[in-house]
Amino acid sequence: MEVLPGIVRWFADPTHWQGPAGIPQRVLEHLLISGAALLVAAAVGLTAGIAVGHTRRWAALAVNAANIGRALPTIAVMAIVLPVTAAMDPQNGFKVYPAVIGLIVLAIPPILVNAYTGVSGVDRDIVEAGRSMGMRGSQLLVTVEVPLAMPVIVTGLRSATSQVIATATLAALFGGPGLGRYLVEGYAQRDYPMMFAGVILVGVLFLVLEAVFAFAEARLTPRGVPRSGGEARAPLVAPGRP
Amino acid sequence: MRKVRTLALGASLLVLLSACSTGGGSKPTIKIGSDGFDEARVMAELYAQVLENAGYTVDRAGIGLGTRDVTNAALFSGQIDLKPEYIGSGLSKQGGTPSSDPAKNQSELQAKLATQGGGITVLGYTPGQDTNALVVRKETADQYNLAKWSDLTAVADKLKWGLATDCPTSPVCAAALKDSYGIDTTKIDVTLLDACSSAMDDALTNKTIDVAELCSTGPEIIVNGWVRLDDDKATQPADAIAPVVRNDLLAKTDKTAFSKLLDDVSAKIDTPTLAELYKEVSVDKKDIKDVAKAWLQANGFLPVAS
Repeated sequence: MEVLPGIVRWFADPTHWQGPAGIPQRVLEHLLISGAALLVAAAVGLTAGIAVGHTRRWAALAVNAANIGRALPTIAVMAIVLPVTAAMDPQNGFKVYPAVIGLIVLAIPPILVNAYTGVSGVDRDIVEAGRSMGMRGSQLLVTVEVPLAMPVIVTGLRSATSQVIATATLAALFGGPGLGRYLVEGYAQRDYPMMFAGVILVGVLFLVLEAVFAFAEARLTPRGVPRSGGEARAPLVAPGRP
Repeated sequence: MRKVRTLALGASLLVLLSACSTGGGSKPTIKIGSDGFDEARVMAELYAQVLENAGYTVDRAGIGLGTRDVTNAALFSGQIDLKPEYIGSGLSKQGGTPSSDPAKNQSELQAKLATQGGGITVLGYTPGQDTNALVVRKETADQYNLAKWSDLTAVADKLKWGLATDCPTSPVCAAALKDSYGIDTTKIDVTLLDACSSAMDDALTNKTIDVAELCSTGPEIIVNGWVRLDDDKATQPADAIAPVVRNDLLAKTDKTAFSKLLDDVSAKIDTPTLAELYKEVSVDKKDIKDVAKAWLQANGFLPVAS
């Protein structure tokens, strides 16, 4: 099996770079479904995570509810919502929305848990210092807690993004768009160059987005705050007030 | 003393080894594979259970493996030893021209497979047949006055098509539609989904697609009152099912007895039986192993547990 030269030939073929099944179109579709899912997941996850981290209320509930999302396989979520979304919209409700919803469920946990862990983990002495200077709760949140938590928050977004980019390939199982088409059709037609091209494109997309996040993390982290490494681990039971 | 025992053990091992290598009557493990859809999987399971009952060990990892492109590659490379094959479509995949005569399809497929992957044998085929069918909802048939495939040509671009994921490379799908019906699948709205899968059924139910490529024995066609269009240019082979087996496996066992086991099962599978087994798995959601076991027991291939 000459897979490697086959892959090179596949990429060199100009017909694979144009039209509705071409690489630019597929990459765009892949970014659109991933981006839509990440936007919704960030809106929900950041709001809930920061709120819970700031108020220290409902933390156990929010974190554990989000973690249920980690236990749900994306494909199961897709299969569960498909009958509902398809009844509302026969086209996108079948091919696109189930995947997007599955990806939202996938992306919320790392975003929410990191936002919560980041904000609640800000040194209490700093928060108290702000309070004693007369800062109100919202001021504390915007000027102290969120900036200091930024490395952990961005790490959550970054981790969610990498999971979503890889998992968005599942959309193709229900005839959906994106780079998963190359995997599904490449496997079915035993066109290995097409299949591996899909894998490579997902990998490249992942690396590009990693670079974007590394840059964003550097720009968003206030001077003096160490940049974070891995994804924060959620405590099973959130700590109460000190 | 110990030395003697070791020697004795070694000697008996040698005897065992030589017994294995002489082959002929031994019962090797049989790796069974199949297409991904329920009918093919239940056929594979029938063969698996009959073989198990006869004392063979069966490896089911390949059941539901994927499209013909995938299962053929697995069979030719020895990753699986046996799979149920739709002999008409199988023949066209090998470059042959299937006819409506299953005996002719079988012998031509046998000729093509004799030289593939170290030699493949096509065993006896079922009287039952399954055919690739194009199916539309009742209202679509009424709206465009559709009864046969030729009726689709004029309205092809107004319809949304659901075709199998291997359609673009399949001689009986994209090529047949283009050559015989003038329908260019690259110019129409096509959604590629797994052949004869529940995803294809769901897409037709939900109006994601208007034309679905299904198996003619597919129970959803009757359950939903869909209209199966007539392939008036006769592009689709009437597909009887036969197990295709690697010759190197047959050489390791009693070929006559092995073939008879499977041929006896195949001979009992007529079209209504195929449709019934398919329905029990796909619509009634029964476990494939239970469906296969119940049928084999009812037809005297397996002892009925008391």
